[in-house]
Amino acid sequence: MGRQLIKSHTNKPLPSAPKRVKLARMTRRELIAGLMMVPAGFAGYRALADSRKRSEVNLEISTDGDLLAFKPGELTCTAAALVHLSFFHTGKYIHQDHDWVLTLPGESNAVDQAALLAGEAAGYVAPRGDRRVVAATPMCGKGEHLSIDFIAPGPGDYPFICTYPGHAAFMHGVLHVIPR
Amino acid sequence: MISIKLLAPSLLGTIALLCAQSALSVEPKSPDAVHMALRILASVYADMESKLPDQLDRLAHENQEFHDGSAALRDAVADESPDYKAKVLAALDTTVNASQKVSDTSATHDTVKVRATLEQLADSMRSLNALFPEVIRAEPGSVPAPQHGGGAR
Repeated sequence: MGRQLIKSHTNKPLPSAPKRVKLARMTRRELIAGLMMVPAGFAGYRALADSRKRSEVNLEISTDGDLLAFKPGELTCTAAALVHLSFFHTGKYIHQDHDWVLTLPGESNAVDQAALLAGEAAGYVAPRGDRRVVAATPMCGKGEHLSIDFIAPGPGDYPFICTYPGHAAFMHGVLHVIPR
Repeated sequence: MISIKLLAPSLLGTIALLCAQSALSVEPKSPDAVHMALRILASVYADMESKLPDQLDRLAHENQEFHDGSAALRDAVADESPDYKAKVLAALDTTVNASQKVSDTSATHDTVKVRATLEQLADSMRSLNALFPEVIRAEPGSVPAPQHGGGAR
C-alpha cells in the first residue's frame, strides 16, 4: 500500500494551483490512512518473506566406528533447503581418513575415480570445481568432527561416498531430496 | 532295558564333546566388543580382497589397517582369564603375521602368490573365530568384497 502511494505520487503530472490544494488535502488524508496501514503492510510483507524463507535442515552422519560404512546409509532433506551437515569419524583403532562426498545421480563412480587420479598429494579428493560434486567435507581423521553447509539440489536421489581409495565400494549411501 | 555297558560310553562321549566345545569357545566377558573387533578384521580382509588383481600396491596400507584393527581385539579380551587371553592373543598374532605375509608378497606383484597368502590369512582368521561362540563370530567373507566399478552409484 505504502509503495503504491509513493508510486502514484511520483508518476502524476504536476497539477494546477487550485487543484493542488485539493490534492494536497487528499494526499494528506491518503498519507494518514497510508501511515496507519504501514504496520499492516509490514506484517503482510514479513509473512510473505517468511513463507519464501529457505528451510533449514540439520543432518548428522558418521562412520560406523572402524568399519567401512556410513551410519546411517540414507539421509533425507527437502529441495533447496539450507543443509547443515555434521560428519563424525567415530573410528578408534584404524588410522584411516574418510570424507563425505555428495555427487550427482550416477556420477559417484566417476567422482571416486577422479579423486583416485588426484592422488595422495591432493588428499584423494575430486578437483575443486568438479560439477559432479554437489557437496563435500574435507578428509577427516579418526575421532574428528566436521560440519559443512550447502544448499540441497532439486528433488532426486543423490549418492554419497567416501573418496579415500577403495572406500567407496563399502562406504556409500543415498541422500533423498524430496520436493518442498 | 538299556544296558549300563551301552549307556556309559555314549554318556562319556557326550561329556567329552561338551568339554571339548567349551574348551574351544568360551563366552567372553565383552561379547559386543569382541564381535565388533572381529567385524573390523573381517572388514579389512574384504578390503584386502578387493585389491586383487590390479591394486596390489595398496595391500601394504591394508596390512597396516589390519595391524591397527587387531588392537580392537586385544582391548576386547583384556579382562579375560590369563589362559583364555593367551590363547586368543596367540591366534591373533598368527593372523597378524599372515596379514604381514600378504603385504610382503604383494611386493612381488604375483597375483597367484598373493591370493594364496590371502587364503592363509582367511584360514588363520577362521581359527581365531573358532575361539568364540558362533553368534559373535565374523568370519572372513562375512563382509562381501565389492565388485570393481560395479553398482549404479
